[in-house]
Amino acid sequence: MIRLQNVHKEYAGRPALINVNLHIGLGEFAFLVGPSGAGKSTLMRLLYREETPTRGQVMIGGVNLTKLSPRQVPLLRRRLGIVFQDYKLLPRQTVTDNVAYILRALGVDELDVQRRVTSALCVVNLEDKASAFPDELSGGEQQRVGIARAIVNGPPVLLADEPTGNLDPSTSLEIVQLLERISQRGTTVLISTHDHFIVDSLRRRVISLKNGQIVADVDSGLYEMEAKG
Amino acid sequence: MRQLRVLARVAVETVIGLKRGGWSNWLVISILTVALTIFGGVLQLTMSLKNVVSSWGSQLEISAYLKDNYEPGKVAKSVSQIADVQVVEIVPKEVAWAEMQSNFKVAALNNPLPNTLHVRLCTPEAVERTASRLRLMDGIEHIRYPLKVARNLNRFRQFLEIAGAVVTAALTAATLTVIGNTIHLVIQAKHREIEILSLMGVSPWYIKGPLILQGAAYGTIAALAATMFLVVLHLYLDPYVRDQLLSFLPVLPQTLDSGNLPTFMIVLLLGVAVGAGGSAWTSGRYIKI
Ligand SMILES: Nc1ncnc2c1ncn2[C@@H]1O[C@H](COP(=O)(O)OP(=O)(O)O)[C@@H](O)[C@H]1O
Ligand SMILES: [Mg+2]
Repeated sequence: MIRLQNVHKEYAGRPALINVNLHIGLGEFAFLVGPSGAGKSTLMRLLYREETPTRGQVMIGGVNLTKLSPRQVPLLRRRLGIVFQDYKLLPRQTVTDNVAYILRALGVDELDVQRRVTSALCVVNLEDKASAFPDELSGGEQQRVGIARAIVNGPPVLLADEPTGNLDPSTSLEIVQLLERISQRGTTVLISTHDHFIVDSLRRRVISLKNGQIVADVDSGLYEMEAKG
Repeated sequence: MRQLRVLARVAVETVIGLKRGGWSNWLVISILTVALTIFGGVLQLTMSLKNVVSSWGSQLEISAYLKDNYEPGKVAKSVSQIADVQVVEIVPKEVAWAEMQSNFKVAALNNPLPNTLHVRLCTPEAVERTASRLRLMDGIEHIRYPLKVARNLNRFRQFLEIAGAVVTAALTAATLTVIGNTIHLVIQAKHREIEILSLMGVSPWYIKGPLILQGAAYGTIAALAATMFLVVLHLYLDPYVRDQLLSFLPVLPQTLDSGNLPTFMIVLLLGVAVGAGGSAWTSGRYIKI
């Protein structure tokens, strides 16, 4: 589903990713771990085409992102669910309107919009906050809105860049377990994090980045597996 | 159906944007209104003048004003002997004065008007030729003929057209700047929102569309306001202008009002074009997605 081949990424000549090769299969669930500055966000940005690689190929679902024209980028992003550390909710819109935004912008019939928003809010267990505004919610609730928004259009791939970076440990665990539940419905999920606790609690595939290179890639792994890579 | 729903959403977003605009909406609209009113006024005036010029330019008549101590009948006789002259009509000063008094409220002065001959010619080419002969004739104080006035008016109209074009260009540039700045401020205020929408895969035109429509709405409202001003000006000014022209040249014409509808259509089009164009350009420049 996700494939990177010999990917190099440089910012003004300074390498952020070095010769990254990676494959994540359909419906897989994986953590992307590494210390701050390792290149996790850079890799994520390549996947949602906020950046293009300096060299190498990035493919999602057979589509080569390096060959995508600017006009095709929105089409790609509609097929991805993206979750951010800072939630990126629209502050002047209610929870429902935030989640419904992309559907309405695509001209989905309003009845259908309501049905899909309700179902997405049900998945993240936020039906009772449907008409609240983002600033009336806790961090964990805001992130659940972000996840509802990401899955509302039924994307095959869900990318979450440090989704728990602003949350306390128990809320973080809830969020990651929520993402794991979503992956069980067939969605490919990639989560970047530097949080040992959640990685070690789930024991799923762990891809370790360090100084822009993949130093370990282990199924059912722990955060510190990189040591032997 | 889907497309219609998207368009409806874009319209809703436009209205939301306008509501958030507050007082800055009215600033943009008033500046645009001033520009369009001036533009429309100049356009209207040059179009009217063009009509006057073309109708006067084709008049085959010369007015000859006689010296007081000459007998109108005698002068008329010698004038009628000129080859190109078709008819000579004598307008005694008493008649002209009475007519003027009935048309305008003039103070009860002594009759200041001279005796006048209306000289009708057969061909337009004869106008200039005959005019120069008449000018030299005994008993004729001076002459006036529409063709000459038309020429002067035409020169004035050409000047007005150039000045109008310059003023319009300057005002358009100023208006574009104001609209551009306004939309730029909107974009800056929505910066984060635009980034989020772009990451969600909302298409660029769905993001820019409401901004462009916002500019077009400014243009439409300003054009309607300008049209209103122009209609009012037209109603109050036209009779005045007509009087001026009539006293300036007692003969002729009734073709002053014309071309209102075209003017207003052009003003509307220009308003929408400047409004939508200004915001489209700014959106294109500052929304890079
Ligand atoms: N937009 C950018 N311009 C220049 N350098 C950048 C930019 N984004 C990231 N970097 C650099 O690339 C490296 C990897 O950063 P990042 O991908 O954000 O790491 P992580 O998300 O793992 O903390 C860092 O050295 C960072 O300074
Ligand atoms: Mg990061």
